[in-house]
Amino acid sequence: MSKKISRRDFLKLAGAGGAAAALTGCGPASRYVRREPYTQMPEYTHPGKSTYFATTCFECSAGCGLLVRTFQGRAIKVEGNPYHPVSGGKTCARGQATVEGLYNPDRVQGPLRVARGAANESINWDQAIGVVAGALTQYQPDEIAFLLGMAPDHLFDLVSELAAAGGARPPLRFGALGMFEARNTLLKATGRVFAQEAMPFFDMANADVVFSFGANYLETWVSPVAQARAFSSMRRGKPGRRGYIVHFEPRMSQTASVADEWVPIAPGTEGLVAAALGIMVAEARGQRVPAAYASLNLEDLLKQADVDEEVLRRLAQIFAEAREPLAIPGGSALGQINGLENAQAILMLNAVVENLGKPGGVFLSQVAAVRDDAYHRPNTLYEIYQLIKDMREGKIKALFIHGVNPAFELPAALAFDQALEKVELVVSFATFPDETARLADYILPDHAGLESWGYQKVVGVGPAVVSGAQPVVLPVFDTRATADVLLAAVQKAGGALATALPYKDEVDFIRQSVAGLRRAAGGHYSAADEATFFSRFQQFGGWWTQEAAAAAPQAASEQPLSVAAPEFDGEGELFLLPYPSPILGDGAGANRPWLQETPDPTTTVMWNTWVEMNPETARELGVTDDDVIRLVTPYGTLEASVYRYPAIRPDVIAIPFGQGHTALGRYAENRGANPARILGVKVNKAGDLAFAATRVKVEKTGRQRPLARAEDRVGVYGDGE
Amino acid sequence: MAAEEKGKWGMVIDQDICTGCNACVVACAMENNIPFVGEDETAYGRGMHWIRVERQWEGHFPEVAAVYQPVMCQQCGRAPCEPVCPVFATLHSETEHINLQVYNRCIGTRYCANNCPYVARRFNWFDYEWPAPLDNHLNPDVTVRGRGVMEKCTFCVQRIKRAEDEAAAEGREVRDGEVQPACAQACPTDAIIFGRLDDPESRVSKAARSKRGERLLEDLGTQPKVTYLKGGARYD
Repeated sequence: MSKKISRRDFLKLAGAGGAAAALTGCGPASRYVRREPYTQMPEYTHPGKSTYFATTCFECSAGCGLLVRTFQGRAIKVEGNPYHPVSGGKTCARGQATVEGLYNPDRVQGPLRVARGAANESINWDQAIGVVAGALTQYQPDEIAFLLGMAPDHLFDLVSELAAAGGARPPLRFGALGMFEARNTLLKATGRVFAQEAMPFFDMANADVVFSFGANYLETWVSPVAQARAFSSMRRGKPGRRGYIVHFEPRMSQTASVADEWVPIAPGTEGLVAAALGIMVAEARGQRVPAAYASLNLEDLLKQADVDEEVLRRLAQIFAEAREPLAIPGGSALGQINGLENAQAILMLNAVVENLGKPGGVFLSQVAAVRDDAYHRPNTLYEIYQLIKDMREGKIKALFIHGVNPAFELPAALAFDQALEKVELVVSFATFPDETARLADYILPDHAGLESWGYQKVVGVGPAVVSGAQPVVLPVFDTRATADVLLAAVQKAGGALATALPYKDEVDFIRQSVAGLRRAAGGHYSAADEATFFSRFQQFGGWWTQEAAAAAPQAASEQPLSVAAPEFDGEGELFLLPYPSPILGDGAGANRPWLQETPDPTTTVMWNTWVEMNPETARELGVTDDDVIRLVTPYGTLEASVYRYPAIRPDVIAIPFGQGHTALGRYAENRGANPARILGVKVNKAGDLAFAATRVKVEKTGRQRPLARAEDRVGVYGDGE
Repeated sequence: MAAEEKGKWGMVIDQDICTGCNACVVACAMENNIPFVGEDETAYGRGMHWIRVERQWEGHFPEVAAVYQPVMCQQCGRAPCEPVCPVFATLHSETEHINLQVYNRCIGTRYCANNCPYVARRFNWFDYEWPAPLDNHLNPDVTVRGRGVMEKCTFCVQRIKRAEDEAAAEGREVRDGEVQPACAQACPTDAIIFGRLDDPESRVSKAARSKRGERLLEDLGTQPKVTYLKGGARYD
């Protein structure tokens, strides 16, 4: 006879966890027992009332503070934490959809042995920990590799410590968003220009004129919510003074579309344009042309960049006369073969107008001192390539992957999936059955962000911030924190490693990591003891300095710059510009149904991939909206529907990154195309992928596939009239 | 119908700082249990978005610009949707001065949607599903609508009511800024301002008086409660 669980039994069982909760002394009935209501609620719930928890958003690596509304044990609504210096009570579209990741029906619901697609067998967590412990003892330390994402930082810190203690390779970290902003190029250029390799902080909020070169700071670049807030104060925050923005980019991105002027310069000429501007600005300000630009000839620069001198003169005048001018390099300007030179030439503009360390100028981010105050940068594509080479040569026997989906995010030409076949043991800690997890031997699912502990060290904002995460709900499925799995495996493996990592569990590691901040200067709260400090850390969602802590850069380098003309890979009449979708981000958002149904800001397309093409180019090629075209590069081909985009150079076509999943659940799979399949593998001098330096050929297929658009088609380019 | 409605709750949207990021669209969907309908249905124009960010191109390459305009129910003082409803499912609130939609009265004639000049009303053509456990995040304060029912932006009336109840319990007026609809709360640039129009000192009243302000299709005499502040300026 099968035993059926009645609703009543279920409610009692569901409350079993809550029964062990602390005694809440209230009223005369409280002695040493408490009264027990018939229906038991999960802990911290009051019937009819919402409970809010401060935590951190892990949809990207920016580290926005959230306040999540929970109601009777369920996460209902994500809101921004109003006191948090990154989010300031705000969120982006991706942050809002976090609950659809938490309660997604396609999550990995418990540890699995998948044997690279050959099996789909549930295992228990003891077996899972046994697998990890086995790998740690069986293989030589340098045969074990960890590949992590750009978040969360606490796991990166723990794995770094584990690797150092065991003599293993230091963990690598990577993410498509870092790849599409060429973050290492920005770091290296900052190092060369300002003698310190730190993440710069551009104080946009206090600037009055911003020249941005390819940085999509309102979409995915570094810290989009903090930057959107800064943009708002810049433009409307000061009565009577409206900030002015000029954006230089071959395609009008969402960020460029909000600028006051968009200058569609040719791909790869950003450095040439910046240097020409620099010389003109110096002249307009009546100062000597700085040594960095001194060896460059203005006429040559203008000729190579093929820009209108009059336009540049007018813009240079605006920049020279501004009270708080600011130049920002990023994104497609850096993802070029000459990207490092471009970044330096653009950064140098700030030195010309002497805004270093001044309000509205350039600063160097101060990282909160959690374990150390270094910035742990994502790895370059070149470093990832080295890992893939080692995998292919059989030097890596065990690979642990967390927080990144390399089989989807890396250029397919690197053949990560083939290299994975040469690795004896592949363990994925993915919450979703993504492309990489499907090629693994085991999936040991981590919690979703809203079920997790953690911290994220923030860069690109004024104060020093470590954003804290705590679970807002109990885990929905039989998942386990990866940090706990690793710590348990280390204990099980025993030996020197076990004594080197004396942490009881993940929470103990986090507590010990942030404990030092209690005595750090400038914190926005104080605490008498460690326990109080940690409870405040949880309550407020982290720790940050009251005042801005970013440092003024040293004087700019006097080294003459060499600004190179652009170089391109492949052949074809058009330049390919892939960009991360402002809504789906690095593609991990593709399984959130409401993100799929949210129109792309500039095209209003939903649920699919499109190719943006100037209407003039489309007419010449004989294609129109919804015609499927084939893009051919030396690395592969891809098919997608045309979207005639009026704000792109005729010699450039653009394609959003984020769709084209072959795994990741029902909402993501088999829709759109993944531009990683046709990306080149050329890197710039900083080792970052020159993702915007590929030429592409376009072929007609003769087929049509209509795109779902929120905008009305009638009346656009005379259609339907 | 009143000749000229003073209005109680209102909204101002500053197009100069709207970045078109669509955070409001997702925030609204999460707060108000709005179903997603999938690629084919959205392509037919059956998407359920209560708020949409319209993107208009101005000019031609290279002198081209995009203008973003978030549009939702304008909560008209003289609403064209109201008099056409045969069953009083679409009616005017005497206390809040906004347009209400009573889901369990609605019989799905869609007259109201046909009469709305702002295309703000959305019809449930099907019963939409949140496959378990996705339904766990549904907001208990907002009714989940079934097939055959019209729906639209409510100015997050559940939030207005909660704040009014709390204020009444404490014997005070609702403070300016105490109520924020989900869109305004999420908006990273604070482009959406919400508050009491009947208080001349409120932030929204002051913003609505801006010389940049204009109302959508005001000539129709709908008396919309949403004011748009035009963006853009030359460098001077």
